[in-house]
Amino acid sequence: MNAYRRLFSGPLGAIAIAVALAALAMIVAGVSPIAGFSALFGGALGGTSDIAETLVQTTALLFPALGITLAFRGGLFNIGAEGQLLIGGLAAGAVGAHLHAPTAVAAVVLLGLGAIAGGVWGGLAGWMKAYFNANEIISTLMLNFVAAALASYLVVGPLRSPQATGAETAPLPHSAWLPLIVPDTRLSISILIAIALAFLLRFVLTRTIFGYELRAVGEAPEAARRNGVQMRRMTWLTLALSGAISGLGGATIVTGVMHTFNTELSPGYGFTAIAVALVGDLDPLWVCVAAFGFGILESGGLAMQAVAQVPKDAIHVIEGCIILILAARRYVATRTESAPV
Amino acid sequence: MGLVHQHFELVGRLRVWQNIMLGREPRKGWHVDANAARVRVAELARRNGLPIDPDAYVDELAIGIQQRVELLRELEREPSVLLLDEPTAALAPAEIDAFFGTIVQLAARGTAVLVVTHKLQEVINYSKRVTVMRHGKIVAHFETAKTSVDEIARAMVGGNLPDVAARAATAPSPCFVADGLFAGESETAIAGISFAVRSGEIVGIAGVEGNGQTTLADAVAGMIPYRGTIHIAGDVGIIPQDRNKEALVMNWSIVDNALLGRQHTSRVRHGLLLDRSVARADAQVIVDRLDVRCATLDVAVKTLSGGNQQKLVVGRSLFGEPRFVLAYNPTRGIDVGAAALVQSRLIEARNGGAAVLLISFELDEILAVADRILVMYRGAIVGEFERANVDRATIGRLMAGSQ
Repeated sequence: MNAYRRLFSGPLGAIAIAVALAALAMIVAGVSPIAGFSALFGGALGGTSDIAETLVQTTALLFPALGITLAFRGGLFNIGAEGQLLIGGLAAGAVGAHLHAPTAVAAVVLLGLGAIAGGVWGGLAGWMKAYFNANEIISTLMLNFVAAALASYLVVGPLRSPQATGAETAPLPHSAWLPLIVPDTRLSISILIAIALAFLLRFVLTRTIFGYELRAVGEAPEAARRNGVQMRRMTWLTLALSGAISGLGGATIVTGVMHTFNTELSPGYGFTAIAVALVGDLDPLWVCVAAFGFGILESGGLAMQAVAQVPKDAIHVIEGCIILILAARRYVATRTESAPV
Repeated sequence: MGLVHQHFELVGRLRVWQNIMLGREPRKGWHVDANAARVRVAELARRNGLPIDPDAYVDELAIGIQQRVELLRELEREPSVLLLDEPTAALAPAEIDAFFGTIVQLAARGTAVLVVTHKLQEVINYSKRVTVMRHGKIVAHFETAKTSVDEIARAMVGGNLPDVAARAATAPSPCFVADGLFAGESETAIAGISFAVRSGEIVGIAGVEGNGQTTLADAVAGMIPYRGTIHIAGDVGIIPQDRNKEALVMNWSIVDNALLGRQHTSRVRHGLLLDRSVARADAQVIVDRLDVRCATLDVAVKTLSGGNQQKLVVGRSLFGEPRFVLAYNPTRGIDVGAAALVQSRLIEARNGGAAVLLISFELDEILAVADRILVMYRGAIVGEFERANVDRATIGRLMAGSQ
């Protein structure tokens, strides 16, 4: 199959079909799809502050998408990015509220804590898989609920700030905020961290022994096992690193955007990120591009609702269609490949 | 026309009669007439001398029986031409005879049968005419009665078979020692196996498939737990049985596959990093040494033929001249030319001072290559022969379980 056809039978085709379906839904709802989509793109890319907000959404999606990319490449279906993100944010918020240190120190400490917390959360599922053969799809999914329950207990109870009106931790001191790239927006340096991480991840996957073995496990676990890969170590390490990347993302949302922690941290970034990773074909650099595309949907959706009266849910129709089509395609591809030649 | 594929095309979760009648079920109104179907399948099985339980679930049947189902399904259509693609690849020797017995009867009753196989003995024993293919072209036709295995083999490899290299004297020091080895479960378990392989000799383990060979190979490779001791002096090269699953990453390039298993050696590993230029150079060496036919080193190994894939696996296992080599059916399912090359590389490794343990279901291969032969039956070593005084008939009896 040539590259052109492959691209269209894959992510681009899925996006095209999803957009067509969304347009159809708009027509059925009595809205002009042209008005709808121009409102969407206008809202997402119309001005500096719009673009900055789109990039904020891009960043929030990119971290968990990179974490998911790592796990999927290693053959582990980590669908617990949402929980890992939340736990990372929780760690950064809980400590950050009381951390008075220079910005650089605070950033390293809080982002590091977020990564460690997310890593523990992912590693927990990895440990259960490695030593008790617990299916990681189930355990990572279930740990999402544990994370959500833990976070809401802590922000309502022990970690609740007496000054705050809602259930949230005490605000981070200004010194602990991530520096902004564009003044008067919410866009912090976290996007640079995310992009650097994507390059690093690509390097790890293609140039290091760890990445080589991880891909071997993902492609052919039995061949990997028989050729010197320590499977248990690989399993928990992969999920721990995957969780660490998502946890780091949660910490950047707390230190860069919210400056406090509450359970509104993620409107489902960890789940949308699965689609982002798949649309990016599990290649870290293409995942960046995909995250930007989904960032446009996330930030333009509100504008679309306000300007063109298209409900924001239409965005979820698009996202859902993309996930469904890509999942179906992967399923069909594995079925066809495993058929006798 | 009927076609029986090398890889079975059966629905594992359906019963035998459902598989055989699939798409042509006798009907009773809107329903499938299950009883009529069972009767027809039973009658079909009886007529063709292929006894089967119509109600068994296909995925619970042995491979040989599954093949029978596959064949019955095709026979049910009463084809005038029957195509069989590597029909005996998964069968035990006794099953092969029974299988061809049926086929020969079928041919006698007027069906044209075309068998695609790489096993020359089957061709000689059962066919009337032979056509030889090489590199996608027909290169020769023979009347079976007027030809020989040698002549067919020569046509297959193009020219004469490579000579088996002269045998070097074996060193006295044992390189591999297994002592009182127990592993596995039930029928394929091994019980109290002890033997040694010295540097510079090839020890062949002969036996019919399913007598514990896989368990032994996995224990030696360290892939399953065992009781007893295995001592290996030096590094190990392993040629596993199933290159698809156990040796290669099908979607990967030749370069990446040539590296697998050696990724922790100081040659390619610099701290955390992989030296890709060394990996590529090594892949080139392996490809040259084993004559792996490929367009470039970057093609996915799934695009290579089975023989070339196997040559890559063998080249990789022998790279760096390991002191001990475990080869489990190293020439299974590949053409004669590739098989001869693989065998001569094993002999070269032996001549270079390696201890080679060859486990094979093909007695001919063991007789051709091994310096010492152990016979395995029901998880135990039941006989040992020096090359000088092998007795084919005795080995055959031991393999079958009689003294």
